[in-house]
Amino acid sequence: MTLVFALAASALFGIGAYLVLNRDLLRVVLGIVIISQAATLTLIAAALTRGVAPIYPLRGALVSDPLSQAMALTAIVIGLALTALLLVLVLRVVRAYRAKGLDDVAEEEAEREARRERRTAREHEDEEAAAR
Amino acid sequence: MSALVVALVVPWAAGAVLCLLDGRRRWVGWLAVAALVVNLVALVALATSVLQDGTVSETTGDWPRGVGITLRADALGALFACFSSFAVLAAMVHEVLDGVRERVFPGLVVLLATGLTGLFVTGDLFNFYVFFELAMTAAYVLATYGGGRRELSAALVFTAVNLIGTFIFLLSVAGVYHVTGSLDMATIAERMTFVDPAVAVMIAIGFFAAFSVKLGLFPFHFWLPTVYTGARPAVAAILSGGLANIGAYGLLRFGGELLPRELEFASAGLIALGAASVLYGGVLAVSRRSASEMLAYSAIGQVGYVLMAIGVGGPVGFAAAILYTAVNAVNKTLLFLTAHMRGGIVAAAFLVGALSVVGIPPAAGFIGKLELFRSMADDPLLLALVFLGGALSFVYALQVYQFDFWRSQRAGRRSRWGQQAVIGVLALVVLAGGVWPEPLLSLSQDAAAALGGAGP
Repeated sequence: MTLVFALAASALFGIGAYLVLNRDLLRVVLGIVIISQAATLTLIAAALTRGVAPIYPLRGALVSDPLSQAMALTAIVIGLALTALLLVLVLRVVRAYRAKGLDDVAEEEAEREARRERRTAREHEDEEAAAR
Repeated sequence: MSALVVALVVPWAAGAVLCLLDGRRRWVGWLAVAALVVNLVALVALATSVLQDGTVSETTGDWPRGVGITLRADALGALFACFSSFAVLAAMVHEVLDGVRERVFPGLVVLLATGLTGLFVTGDLFNFYVFFELAMTAAYVLATYGGGRRELSAALVFTAVNLIGTFIFLLSVAGVYHVTGSLDMATIAERMTFVDPAVAVMIAIGFFAAFSVKLGLFPFHFWLPTVYTGARPAVAAILSGGLANIGAYGLLRFGGELLPRELEFASAGLIALGAASVLYGGVLAVSRRSASEMLAYSAIGQVGYVLMAIGVGGPVGFAAAILYTAVNAVNKTLLFLTAHMRGGIVAAAFLVGALSVVGIPPAAGFIGKLELFRSMADDPLLLALVFLGGALSFVYALQVYQFDFWRSQRAGRRSRWGQQAVIGVLALVVLAGGVWPEPLLSLSQDAAAALGGAGP
């Protein structure tokens, strides 16, 4: 049983990692969501015991571990909030750059950087000339 | 109510309320400053009581011990909480004096302080994760502060990279729970000695990767320069002076207390990574002309020293790492805040900060470097590395000082007197730490002893 969980979690992590390395911003978000699911699945699998619900255990009856379920629940909630935050960020970036791919964003950044670099170099040259 | 509860609950409640108010109003900003002051005062009170009577702990909701979530403040956590909170407070006052530009800024900074405080005083592994997320989520939003395109793309990179670090951390938490069956840090530390070494190493690698991303260590550093140069000065100061401490604290707590065997096993690797960070950060910082870029790369170099000291280990190494982190946090806050200001006091304060980064006597950085030298005294190669890093930092710090304050006057309006007073106070703190280092030294030794005398 644990092996099945481990295989499922590692497959999810692999798919997520592949998507994160993608150039499309939405796919990056999707990849992060899938990685978060891999972590949640691992949390559940970390304390996998079979038994009745632990709300009012009968004496001698086997109960399942409530702690790992509580942790998984918290992780899901946090993951959901972060997904929402990430989507808003992507939306704002897309609006600011009018572009969807990381490529376009990176290109624009590089251009601005190059312009800035040229400007500072020119300023420093001017200063040096003035100092002489 | 104990100081522990006050330090956590006041900023928590205040942060929730402040998020609903319009942060651009001046009084809302000052309300946030007041909440942070209460937080800092409570933390200082907590630290003094911890240093006198030993660890303070509290179990939530009167549950029996072992069932309820424990808050536990020892010397290490209290010390880290104090100086992180101080750095956040200084940056907040600086920004409020300048005029806050976005509604949610004060609320988010207070929530970030809550997350930091909770993280340093929790004794429960999963609770650590939750507070960690609270602080990080606030930081993701803060990175967009200013709303320009540059800030947005920097924030996106920051969020994506750190989220992956977070989930790797969560995977390691699941691993720890699986092999020890507990989330209480003290219990984990006891049971970890019986765990299969191969499994423990896997878990340790996960924690290491997660905290190195936060710290901006050499192979995990790629997000750091974009974010630190893209963000506004106050945000950069909060991130590097407050938030980056999570990385150092996590490595000390998880490496020194929970997984000491694995730390010892990996010490050569840690020292090598630390040395790579020092050299990489130093060389790239020398090649930069603008103050904020130089500071971003210098931050990578500075954490390299911390990692080297942790790698050396033992009471002396841990004490050096703690002291250096504390000094570095105040330094970085001071330097990032001065990065876009001008005026006579600014120049003097920048010089004090630069001298402290280099490690020249009247500044506190000297004490940090001295402790580093002391911890590495057995190994001439490491000493040479620390010396080389120091020489590089001398070149870049004074180069930027020269470009910014001697050769050309910085563009822009003259900074307000209030802001100059804030950085003046920070510079005085740095100087005081260097002139009267005894309290800092004994504090860091106590904090290292709190790790349970781990190591040789």
